[in-house]
Amino acid sequence: MRIELFYIPGSQKCANARGGLRAAAEEVNPGVIWRELDALDEIDYAVEIGVTTLPAIAIDREVAFSSLPTPRQLREALRRRATGTG
Amino acid sequence: MPLTIGKIANLAQVSADTLRYYERERLIAPAAKSAGGYRLYERDALRRIRFIKQAQQCGFTLTEIRALLALRGNGAACCRDIRRVALEKKLQLEAKIKAMKVMSKALTHLINECSADGRPLDDCPILASLERANGLKRTGR
Repeated sequence: MRIELFYIPGSQKCANARGGLRAAAEEVNPGVIWRELDALDEIDYAVEIGVTTLPAIAIDREVAFSSLPTPRQLREALRRRATGTG
Repeated sequence: MPLTIGKIANLAQVSADTLRYYERERLIAPAAKSAGGYRLYERDALRRIRFIKQAQQCGFTLTEIRALLALRGNGAACCRDIRRVALEKKLQLEAKIKAMKVMSKALTHLINECSADGRPLDDCPILASLERANGLKRTGR
């Protein structure tokens, strides 16, 4: 599984949330590939997978959150995906 | 000295109707009305009108411009907040460009299918293809 967080460069809110979200993702899926992408540097890729608001989180190249989730929300989304109920 | 709608419209290179429309959209408001009921604007309204025009040229809708103006007047906001809005707009514009490129490619394909001869419309490959596409959509529901 690959999780990509598209962040706004310079956003303190994004910077503060990243650690907790990454920990939540690794807790549910220890082998997860976690990437943090500067939305401006990766604009073509962001557009390709349908990111239109920031910050956003994509799971396996699919936009799962169009604003920052809480670690709990991310954990739940990952669990739903793992069991095929989401 | 206050400016009439005609004068400020002329300076901003927009029509008076545009200014009335902006007013209905709560983007600008006259500073006062004259005894005769004419709208009067302060000179700084010109800066605001130019801001609106420029933002429109960057693809912002009037609703988004209203939010931008509110952000501009918010003492707690900073440059980073505006940058986020601009970045999101760019993402949306790029997504539209991508969708339009797909449409253009589909049209190229249709145009290439047509030999542009004098065949009757019943044999027109472009119309036939569009009708086929509609049919597919209908059965897909």
